Amino acid sequence: MAPLRSLERDYPIIDSNFQQFCASHGIFSAAHDKGNENCELWAGTQILSPQSIVEDLLIHDLYVLVALAEQHSTSERLKQGITQALSIIDGQHQPWLNGMELLEDAQQNKHVLSTGCESIDTLLQGGLHEGHLTELVGPSSSGKTQICLQAASNVAKKYMGGVAFFDTGNSFSPKRIAHFISQSSGPADKEANHKILQKLMSNISCHSVFDFFTLLDVLHQLKSNLRFQTGGQLRLLIIDSISSLITPILGGRGSHGRALMISAGFLLKKLAHEHNLCVLVTNHMVGGEGGITKPALGESWKSIPHVRLRLSRDHGGNICEMSIIRHPYMASGKAARFMIS
Amino acid sequence: MEMSRLPVSASQRAKLISAGYTSLSSLSSVSPFDLARDLKISDNEAHEILKVASHSSRLGSSDGSHAIVHGAQTAWDMLHEEELLARITTSCADLDNILGGGINCKEVTEIGGVPGIGKTQLGIQLAVNVQIPVNYGGLGGKAIYIDTEGSFMVERALQVAKACLEDILEYNGSVRKKFQVCEVKMQPEDFLENMFYFRICSYSEQIAVINYLEKFISENKDVKAVIIDSVTFHFRQDFEDMALRTRLLSGMALKLMKLAKKFSLAVVILNQVTTKYSEGSFHLNLALGDSWSHACTNRVILYWNGNERYAYIDKSPSLRSASAPVFCDRERDPEFSFKLVNESK
Repeated sequence: MAPLRSLERDYPIIDSNFQQFCASHGIFSAAHDKGNENCELWAGTQILSPQSIVEDLLIHDLYVLVALAEQHSTSERLKQGITQALSIIDGQHQPWLNGMELLEDAQQNKHVLSTGCESIDTLLQGGLHEGHLTELVGPSSSGKTQICLQAASNVAKKYMGGVAFFDTGNSFSPKRIAHFISQSSGPADKEANHKILQKLMSNISCHSVFDFFTLLDVLHQLKSNLRFQTGGQLRLLIIDSISSLITPILGGRGSHGRALMISAGFLLKKLAHEHNLCVLVTNHMVGGEGGITKPALGESWKSIPHVRLRLSRDHGGNICEMSIIRHPYMASGKAARFMIS
Repeated sequence: MEMSRLPVSASQRAKLISAGYTSLSSLSSVSPFDLARDLKISDNEAHEILKVASHSSRLGSSDGSHAIVHGAQTAWDMLHEEELLARITTSCADLDNILGGGINCKEVTEIGGVPGIGKTQLGIQLAVNVQIPVNYGGLGGKAIYIDTEGSFMVERALQVAKACLEDILEYNGSVRKKFQVCEVKMQPEDFLENMFYFRICSYSEQIAVINYLEKFISENKDVKAVIIDSVTFHFRQDFEDMALRTRLLSGMALKLMKLAKKFSLAVVILNQVTTKYSEGSFHLNLALGDSWSHACTNRVILYWNGNERYAYIDKSPSLRSASAPVFCDRERDPEFSFKLVNESK
């Protein structure tokens, strides 16, 4: 609950007089955001806090409230107070966008990042899209981590972008990254290659995450860091694998695990959209009915990623096959075969 | 929804929300005593909740560092670190070769095979080899051996330790003649002293030990290898609730990964295999199915091909998929296989 009195610190217009007035009409709380301590009173700054709660003030009939304020001795100040409280609440949601603005945003801000493997790029019409949450699902050792590493090195190399790799299984291999980066570089001299390698690899950062709550904390930290970030643009966020973090909390008597999973999915999609990131997660398979394997994390997860790709590898071979399970604008079932070098 | 981010129990969360604490910020200014009174819980519990909440919100605020995420490492730094990490030799040159030098630290390696192929022997060998002093290419560390099946034999471990020591002395004598001052004063019994042994009889004991390992290893900082033999034994039979089994196993896998990374040690888990019929042929698959398959960083499967043992790298982020015959019977000790037969149960 956000009592009005706690807003007084940030908004002096909501002083004790106003609070008493509100209290006399049964209003004890309003919207509240703790994130921006130093808001200016009239600056009308954007408050982005999806967790704030709107309570009594919105439930009340505002016309009646204003009329009652008129009758009060300090009516001007009270009305200003009401306006301020309403503007705080208004600032909570994202602004409305029309189709043209969305299209413009998609064309100018949401680029397509190549994965480094031609067949995958052809299948996905260019590669990984910024603003999309892409999921790679497949049985063990089908090439998910390799594709993640290859995409990471390609983004670092071709787009000079930053990459954040959240590793849950200690499978981040700097050796492979170095291999992918130096694979397609020209026969320049070793010194220059070494410097380039250093620069590119310094843009890829790897963080080990071993439980789900740490992941949530780290994602929130990332969210606030990205808001104030200037240079070294982060382009790609990889979580390998998100299913190993979610499986310990999923199931059981409560639905809390599922709620957490879905909120993590929303958080990732929001990060992808607001900061023009490409988010790539990996998932594993579990046994289903009739012995046919199916992706883990269940039915609730199915609708969360924008793009779902299924990987499989011939037993003992080097050829992987990727097929589309779900895509915003491409038919599912299309497949491509490729080889990881 | 903010309250869901806190790793507290469901009942505590329900109490927090019904008492009016619905955002992390509301917890930042309340004292443990007030919280205990509001929630009708003990002071200690309130203190714990506040500690967790302050940790979450501290991580959530920007700390001004230029790293995109606090505590992350760049790939470049990791590349150099990786080159410096030593590996544990398996005393089997072919197996070392396909593993790229030996068992890696900071990773969880799973070794699977049919019963009788020599997994426990390999486990004992690794527990001894990790103690090889740094001068001789080892890690000079201690080992933890978690035994779930009761297949660990102390006499065998002593034999292996003796053989290893003979190896070291031979190497000492033949190559490092000028360094005779660094005499190896180790006795085979010293090897045994540096092995910490836990015997597990049920799955709850197994989970308890793995939870306890973090505290144990932070008190014994020179532990460099944890060997679990075998990890699936207590989870295979008689588990009524499969969903619970999946949750327990995946939680255990994450804890092992965390141990390996945090303390820079090698975790080796030995597992049994089952045969699975798919696509017209039989494949060897590790027990516990697909949900366990992502619990390791590397996977090696040992199998018989005729009369010879073969090892196959099934999963690895950086090693090529390769298969090679491995001679676990070391040539320099032709009585090795003879001893195996003698000592068999």
